[in-house]
Amino acid sequence: MILKIALRNIYRNKKRSLITISSIFAALLLIVLMRALQFGFYDKLIETVVESYAGYVEIHADGFWDNQSLDNSMVVDQNLMDDLKSVEGVDNIVQRLQTFSLISMGDKTKGGVINGINIKEEQKITDWNKKMVSGSFDLGEDEVIIGKGIAKYFDVVENDTLILYGQGYRGMMAAGKFPIKGIIDLKNPDLNKLGVFMNMETARNYVSSDEISTHIIIDKKQYYDEEKIANDLSQILSDDFEVMTWKQTLPEIEQTITADSAGGLIMAFILYVIVVFGMFGTVLMMTEERKYEFGVLISIGMSRVRLFGIILVETIILSMIGVVIAILITYPISYYYYLNPINMANLMGDGADMMMEEMGFSPIAPMSISWDIPLSHALVIFIFSLIISIYPAIKIMKLDPVKSMKA
Amino acid sequence: MIETKNLSKIYNPGKFEVKAVNDVSSIFEDGEFTSVVGPSGSGKTTFLNCVGGLDKPTSGDVYISGENITSLSGNDIIQYRLKNIGFVFQAYNLIPVLSARENIEMIMLLQGIHEKNRVERTNELLNQVGLYEMSDRRPSELSGGQQQRVAVARALASKPKFILADEPTANLDTSSTSNLLDIMSKLNVNEKITFIFSTHDQRVIDRARRVITLEDGKIVSDKKK
Repeated sequence: MILKIALRNIYRNKKRSLITISSIFAALLLIVLMRALQFGFYDKLIETVVESYAGYVEIHADGFWDNQSLDNSMVVDQNLMDDLKSVEGVDNIVQRLQTFSLISMGDKTKGGVINGINIKEEQKITDWNKKMVSGSFDLGEDEVIIGKGIAKYFDVVENDTLILYGQGYRGMMAAGKFPIKGIIDLKNPDLNKLGVFMNMETARNYVSSDEISTHIIIDKKQYYDEEKIANDLSQILSDDFEVMTWKQTLPEIEQTITADSAGGLIMAFILYVIVVFGMFGTVLMMTEERKYEFGVLISIGMSRVRLFGIILVETIILSMIGVVIAILITYPISYYYYLNPINMANLMGDGADMMMEEMGFSPIAPMSISWDIPLSHALVIFIFSLIISIYPAIKIMKLDPVKSMKA
Repeated sequence: MIETKNLSKIYNPGKFEVKAVNDVSSIFEDGEFTSVVGPSGSGKTTFLNCVGGLDKPTSGDVYISGENITSLSGNDIIQYRLKNIGFVFQAYNLIPVLSARENIEMIMLLQGIHEKNRVERTNELLNQVGLYEMSDRRPSELSGGQQQRVAVARALASKPKFILADEPTANLDTSSTSNLLDIMSKLNVNEKITFIFSTHDQRVIDRARRVITLEDGKIVSDKKK
């Protein structure tokens, strides 16, 4: 009966109900689309960064991150790899051997980061093979691929030779001559100035160890949470290893997203204020207009709690209708723009695509289709409905049926 | 039996106080058909509200079947009213979004009566007030007299011993008034329900077997026919 009365009351004042539903719908539509675009952009940003260099999750020997020396490297056997693959959400896994070296040619010398990689496996995680400016990604023995910043610094091209000089494993000297197989543009100025890539065997020879790695890079399956994966990995690994997510290895990306997301939240908050005042106005009018009716219901024997239940159900139904319509409309829109991403460069004008690509960002921004976005905001509206219902609850608890029926 | 002992209701105590009901003691035996009459502002409605537990008296007590209802508060008095007293108001006070049938049924729903029994009782009441054919109409689709008959049926839904009716015929034409009074008289005689009306209406007064006259909140006469 409560539901029946609530539904009929909503229908009784069609215009007011429609205005309330519309305000909730409009605000939620804007909030959800704005957040979907924002989170889609973040996902793309993370994907771009992760595909450029870092993995969603990294494993190192314990202490490596604070002291990035080959002495803190690790030996990775097949059993360990099998254990890692058994964790839910783990997709591709690659090993890398990373060390710092001097790069020299003629009378010029600069520092660089040597990356020993498994060419085949690496292509499952990163998109380096697509970022070659010249030459080939198909590295042979004792060959290197260098970032375009290094190429520019030394003014070298494919087939020129660089000298690498540094410290090998356990104090051994590392030195060698390496012809350039290709030049890569990693879309990141720092990586372009530092990155030198060689295959794993060449790198291990260079540092005089035939079995060590410094990084295990883990790619996750879509929609899995990297934090959970990192946590699960920590559970199965001994204390000899440290597990880090991209949020720890690339904190500046996390900070950028957090700062930008705060802007979105402020906008969402402003829209919520509008919605809440709209809903509160409706509830306020409804309570005042129906004091007489409330008095009658109490006088004929309806308990105040049950009466409050009617108002609560009305408020929740009104807000949920707005929420459901907003979700039904925003989700297909988000899905469309997920499949057909918005080109931010088109929105920003000529040259924006070049600028964004130079910065390492893809100008393509798909909308996020995560259900977390509409559902979390629906939950916020639901909670606001409950809070708003406190006003009629207080009025009903204090209501004097005789006075209200005289009004 | 309803008994009021030194019942008083004073509005604005202290400054500009109004004694709506002033030290009224009276007894209503079971099965009475009583009119409380008096000029406007004499305290008829306030007296009825205090007797029915809608309003809290400033002093004095109301005993219904021996139970002092003035000591009940909050949900207890609401529950007491729901089970023991039926109200009929001048303005009908039906729930506009519910049909005639639903308005009657709601009282039984609040009492937790099983659906089958609710439907049977509702049909019985609708037949008694002659509105079975119009049971699915909403109040706005019924005339004043028909709405008041629904209000009487609603008041009877919980099978109360007492029905308090505040100027039930004030908005009705002669034919509707006569019809309503016939229904109430029949219920009074056949089902021994005690009716107490507040009224100005001579047609109601003529039907009553006891007439209590109030003036300035005090009983000035109490005549049995």
